[in-house]
Amino acid sequence: MSAPGRAPGGDGPASGRRARILARVRAALGGRERVTHPGDFTGPRPLDARGSDRLRSFEEALVAAGGEVVRFASVEEARRWLADFAAAFETISVGATVSAPLRPDRPVATPGAAALGVSVARAAVAETGSLVLDARDGRRTQLLPPTHLVWIRGSDVHVTLRDALLDLRGGLPSAVGLHSGPSKSADIGQILVRGVHGPGRLIAGLIVEDDGPRAAPSTP
Amino acid sequence: MRPSSACCPKHRAPDVRVALFATCLGDAFFADACADTVRLLRRLGVDVDFPEGQTCCGQPAFNAGHASAARRMARHTLDVFAGADWVVLPSGSCAGMLRAVFPELLAGEDHERALDLAERTFELAQFLVQVMGVDRLGAGLAGTRVAYHHGCHALRELGVHDEPLALLRGTGAEVVAWEADRECCGFGGLFSVKLPEVSCAMADRKLDTLPEVDLVTSADGGCLMQLSGRAGRRRGRVPAFRHLASVLWEATSA
Amino acid sequence: MSAPRPGGYRAAAREVLRDRPEVRTSVMAATHTFDEHRRASWEEIDADAWRDWMRDVKSHVLTHLDVYLETAEARLEANGVRVHWAETAGDALAALGAVAEAHGVRRAVKAKSMLSEELGVNAFLEERGVLVRETDLGEYIIQLLGEPPSHIVGPAIHRSVDDCRRLFGEKLGTAPDASPEDLAAAARAALREDFLSADLGISGANFLVAETGTVALIENEGNIRLSTSMPRVHVALVGIEKLIPRLEDLSAFLQLTARAATGQAIGTYVSLIQGPRRQGEPDGPEEVHVILVDNGRTRLLADERAWEALRCVRCGACLNTCPVYRQTGGHPYGWAYSGPIGAVLAPGLLGLEEAMPLPFASSLCGACAEVCPVRIPLPELLVYWRERAVEAGLAPVSERLGMNAYAAAATRPRLFGAAATLLRHVPWELGGRALPVLGSWTAQRTAPPAAPRTFRSLWREGIE
Repeated sequence: MSAPGRAPGGDGPASGRRARILARVRAALGGRERVTHPGDFTGPRPLDARGSDRLRSFEEALVAAGGEVVRFASVEEARRWLADFAAAFETISVGATVSAPLRPDRPVATPGAAALGVSVARAAVAETGSLVLDARDGRRTQLLPPTHLVWIRGSDVHVTLRDALLDLRGGLPSAVGLHSGPSKSADIGQILVRGVHGPGRLIAGLIVEDDGPRAAPSTP
Repeated sequence: MRPSSACCPKHRAPDVRVALFATCLGDAFFADACADTVRLLRRLGVDVDFPEGQTCCGQPAFNAGHASAARRMARHTLDVFAGADWVVLPSGSCAGMLRAVFPELLAGEDHERALDLAERTFELAQFLVQVMGVDRLGAGLAGTRVAYHHGCHALRELGVHDEPLALLRGTGAEVVAWEADRECCGFGGLFSVKLPEVSCAMADRKLDTLPEVDLVTSADGGCLMQLSGRAGRRRGRVPAFRHLASVLWEATSA
Repeated sequence: MSAPRPGGYRAAAREVLRDRPEVRTSVMAATHTFDEHRRASWEEIDADAWRDWMRDVKSHVLTHLDVYLETAEARLEANGVRVHWAETAGDALAALGAVAEAHGVRRAVKAKSMLSEELGVNAFLEERGVLVRETDLGEYIIQLLGEPPSHIVGPAIHRSVDDCRRLFGEKLGTAPDASPEDLAAAARAALREDFLSADLGISGANFLVAETGTVALIENEGNIRLSTSMPRVHVALVGIEKLIPRLEDLSAFLQLTARAATGQAIGTYVSLIQGPRRQGEPDGPEEVHVILVDNGRTRLLADERAWEALRCVRCGACLNTCPVYRQTGGHPYGWAYSGPIGAVLAPGLLGLEEAMPLPFASSLCGACAEVCPVRIPLPELLVYWRERAVEAGLAPVSERLGMNAYAAAATRPRLFGAAATLLRHVPWELGGRALPVLGSWTAQRTAPPAAPRTFRSLWREGIE
């Protein structure tokens, strides 16, 4: 099989294909009226109907999708709960950026072998019930163990997905995962099953250390 | 398809003079329903005319991609109904053709004429409720269990949904809930004979979900032909299939 | 996937309706569920406002597509992604093949990608000795069956639980009375092996964000996150129409696409991929490639009417509501995209003649336009392609002649009236031989009872 005459990298500006495709796009657009970007989407959001308590909204959305949420008033309270919770799991895998008190004291295994994965979310989204997971914490731990515990601080929960994305923009890692519930599929006869590939159980450990409001989201 | 604007002031007979557009299917296969349309409108004090130059609105040609044939028929229709105050059709799909498609199909001066015609054109149930302000015709259907099939063009092009139901309920009929009442029956003009197997499967879907009723009615003759035609080849109890105009006339004249 | 065959639509539809009625049952039920969920979730939001906005953003991108493609390429390269440009399916496959060869790939895992179906990726790689494993559960099922996908979002909706029991029993050794949970667990275990050992992960893209060079992917199972995270190399196939301008624009697109497809507020997993693993990250692919694919999209973009079809976000909502699609599922359409969007894309991406008769495989009921999240005028485009087909001489001669004769009669009222009188007397049951069109009606339906008189003649006599 013939390969292009260079290492399998990109085509680069010298590529004829690139130039031809762009030329065809320009020719296609010709004299067509250009449509301007409509600007920021400011339509009513689902959350408006559900009220302004973003933590409660986050919890409701994640639980409605089959996830679980446990609330703690402090890291210390979370740590005590964790010791008890993790006892049921033979082995664990822990994300690279999880702080010491929030790492269970259990035998560590590779992500592919561990029964419990523990991660920390960079942020969360109330309106969609999503946890924002960063590749720097480790993707395998976020995906391979059948049970996944994710720590999230109340002050890191955004109201809208738009706010969360604006916040991410300045510091994107190689990959971000938005996890909004346990893995699911209805491909077998339209019957819902959990844990097909990703974790079948997703728990958010929500640490709300104070009742202060989230820092103001970026304005439209 | 765009629902055309449907609001209109209420008018009182004897000011109302209507030109009836019977439609090609109406003329050939639903003559009684067209006659009942005339009787019904006259009973309400409306003066009804039938411009004899009328033929076909061009919808079968348009839907099949024969735009120039459709334009010829559209222009002819514009000429025939040029002088009419109101144009009423016992067909949701043909009314949709005049209201929603003619202005798109024709350019220049004909486009203006088409816009003008569109404003004066109504499907029968739409006309009775929105223009004549009718909500109660005679109670002659009291006790009858009726299922209403919403033709696609009436529903989605004209935005007609509540009007025929209100008129039927006003006759004392019980309009029975039908899960698939707004799904396409599979007629689609030439579609019914170009892809007959799929067309019949669509009719089967309607008939499989049909509740136990005495009567199935609709504002579109093509849909009635399709549903009654398919029902005639299936086993089991077959209800009566009658055009809305005839059903309403019967209720009024009983 | 073998070469596209939309031309076989009528025969294939007839066959599945006659020989496999269970397909219609399964498809009807699945699409009903999807559509019900969509409807309920749209009631929670101002769907009209969302749809207007998404239509305008997509139209904006498409009418500035050259700028957005260049911006995206620059960002992707700055992120360390290798960018390839493919004019044809052949170019895309060649680029993919070159990557596979350079890395000595023996085994690949694939996330569900309709573009990869369109290009014929699996067959191409398998001919080159690469084992390709579909990882989406629905795609996995049809891969085991050797079938193409039946629906844009749910590839196996035409198959029942019992079908899956038989299949998994045969291929994976599950028990004959296995529950759906058992079946899923068996698939999970089998595919876990593939995720852990694959050299290459292949995905499509739901969106490509120009501002940040982000490839965005939506799913519910986790197989996309795994396919794009575990193997050393990740190749994303991206149709050039997938661009959107800014990261924040993704917010509405992710949410409305999910609501339109399955009624969910958002897909269970969303991957936002910027590039290969970075210094200090514990895992991730070493190399990420994006293949930007034209394959007929610029031809469609050039079409003054049909370019609007390129706004499609592949949600499948139009399939779920199409009364024609719901009778047979996707196979009779003969290529990757079925239902209303398939019929509207085909003439642009495959060519007008190759696409026949798909633009005619519709009763023009308009249900699709009511649910499209980006407001593609599907019924208008179906009529448009029919007009183009007639102009190109692709309608049967008899039909063209018949229409012209009909139009001639329709502009001559006396002739028309006479013809109507005559036609009513044609015996439909017997006329099938002389006029096959009548036979098409009477094969499965009774003929309409001929009214004793035309309305015209009743009017002339006076209506009491």
